[in-house]
Amino acid sequence: MIIVQLIHNTLSIEGPLVIAEVPRALEEIERRLQAFKGKELDVDLSGVERIDSAGVSLLDEVTVRAAHRSITLRIRHVPKHAREALKIFSSRGRMEPTGPKRDTFFVRLGEGVVNMGRASLDFLYLIADTAYFSIVGLVNKRGLRKGEFVNQSVLIGMNALPIVALISFLIGFILALQSAAQLRQFGAAIYVADLIGIAMTREMGPIMTAIVVSGRSGSAIASEIATMVVTEENDALKSMALHPVRYVLVPKIYAITVTMPLLTTLSVIIGILGAMVISITYLGIGPKPFFEELRTVLYLRDVLTGLAKSFIFAWIIALVGAYYGFRVRGGSEGVGRVTTASVVASIFWVILADSLMGLIFYFGQGVEY
Amino acid sequence: MATEIVKVTNLTAGFTPEQEVLKRVSFTANEGEVTVILGASGCGKTTLLKHLIRLYEPRTGSIRIFDQEITGMDEPEFNTLLRKIGVLFQNGALLNSVSVEENVAIPLEQHTKLSVDLIKRLVHVKLRLVELEHALHLLPSELSGGMRKRAALARAIALDPPLLFCDEPSAGLDPTTTAALDYLMLKLRDELGMTMVIVTHVVPSILRIADKAIFMDKGQVLFSGTLEECRSTGIEKIDRFFAEG
Ligand SMILES: Nc1ncnc2c1ncn2[C@@H]1O[C@H](COP(=O)(O)OP(=O)(O)O)[C@@H](O)[C@H]1O
Ligand SMILES: [Mg+2]
Repeated sequence: MIIVQLIHNTLSIEGPLVIAEVPRALEEIERRLQAFKGKELDVDLSGVERIDSAGVSLLDEVTVRAAHRSITLRIRHVPKHAREALKIFSSRGRMEPTGPKRDTFFVRLGEGVVNMGRASLDFLYLIADTAYFSIVGLVNKRGLRKGEFVNQSVLIGMNALPIVALISFLIGFILALQSAAQLRQFGAAIYVADLIGIAMTREMGPIMTAIVVSGRSGSAIASEIATMVVTEENDALKSMALHPVRYVLVPKIYAITVTMPLLTTLSVIIGILGAMVISITYLGIGPKPFFEELRTVLYLRDVLTGLAKSFIFAWIIALVGAYYGFRVRGGSEGVGRVTTASVVASIFWVILADSLMGLIFYFGQGVEY
Repeated sequence: MATEIVKVTNLTAGFTPEQEVLKRVSFTANEGEVTVILGASGCGKTTLLKHLIRLYEPRTGSIRIFDQEITGMDEPEFNTLLRKIGVLFQNGALLNSVSVEENVAIPLEQHTKLSVDLIKRLVHVKLRLVELEHALHLLPSELSGGMRKRAALARAIALDPPLLFCDEPSAGLDPTTTAALDYLMLKLRDELGMTMVIVTHVVPSILRIADKAIFMDKGQVLFSGTLEECRSTGIEKIDRFFAEG
């Protein structure tokens, strides 16, 4: 049990000055420091039985606090056993940070704005590099990873088939169910075909496919590239005069450009089938009238709109994934961080692009729906 | 006078404006010699090596390789130069998704017009040189640390480059593997006349392979000269380095 006593202008500390006692000791001392502003104060350590690193730090801290209040503090009667501890553990005069300082919030905020500008520029460079090498790669296969196009097409396209099919079926099914209940009230049940046909082709098909592919392949692209950066594979490629964008990203761009429209088409068809299940079982409308109705509303233009979106989404997913992958910092924990960030970002940009394209297509062709 | 293959003059570099990782670094590496860069970890050895292959842009200074200034050289020209340089990175940096064989084949496929058969044969030769012919079809993740380094070395020398850069080839390896790797390096120097710049801080390894030594400390060159001179400088830091191994 530590005892802190004040006699005249001497603060005497008695007992073990160890980690368990330090918080209380600091409180006691702090309370008494108040009265000594601008005066002199001695600290008598002769009664200290034991002292550990926390005890020494306490003394350092008290010295600093005293100095802040212009108190002249003298530490006296340091027992023999405590001298060694003071020598080893004292941080006085060594607390000045030697390494670069962490910036304050506002500095970081300012830097954040500057970085954002730089980040957009980096992204533009990435787009430029990718576009350039993608076009060059069509005629010159050199510098591309061998066998990677087929490999990636399987990874991005084939392996996503089941999940895209399942989700699209459920979306078509559930949209049909919700709208059927409403439409039936007006005796307009057959319009389920119009509604789901248009919705799946123009919106839900491309979007749902993009979200699934973002989660599966966008994240895979980000983590693969990020891993290559942190393990110096990226540097190794450059040292072999290979451009990482060309070698790693371009085959993926080709693969995703081919597979996304296919996946989207599949999604649309299965979504419409999902709606048809509802129309047969719940509305009593057979496949024949359903498809005839569909044919009257679905134009080539709708199909092309959906496909155009799927290309744009494909490039967004691949580029955002790659962008996050290339800008990884730190070691393996950085890989996890950018992977997560890339998925969130690519879904955001997909939805933003979808809205923009929705507006463009809507106003671009005159309002005629 | 020996031909200077690498000549760095007053190289200054850093990652942030206020930080200088390399301070006016100058050194040369002569043809057919092993030049070792040593110094405590964090002193800038890797950064220096990466500047030599333009992974980073220097702030000031000149880097001449094969008597050509590489700072400011245009991309295609530098890529041609890179084909004469093999690089072994600190952790091997093999592509993890493809086999050892394919890793070693990359430079051959990308930079030569050799037929597939010939490439296979050459890959085999290089892997036999590093005693890894049995690991041909393994993935990098299935190799031990020492095997990975050796596979990476096979890839680095795939094109028979006259100049080889190695970043800590023997870090984390046991003494026997280290010795084997060192003798392999010496064989490359003696039989192919390769010029090498090797970063390392493994003392026994330095004693075996170094012709010249550059001692770095906190981004500066503390000493450069022959290995014998380096061991008798009387500079405390260097003596301590050799004494403590
Ligand atoms: N990419 C980087 N970004 C910022 N700082 C770096 C980077 N790489 C290295 N550094 C810093 O540069 C210094 C030298 O690092 P490095 O060249 O890797 O040392 P060595 O290889 O001699 O152990 C270290 O202080 C390190 O923190
Ligand atoms: Mg290093």
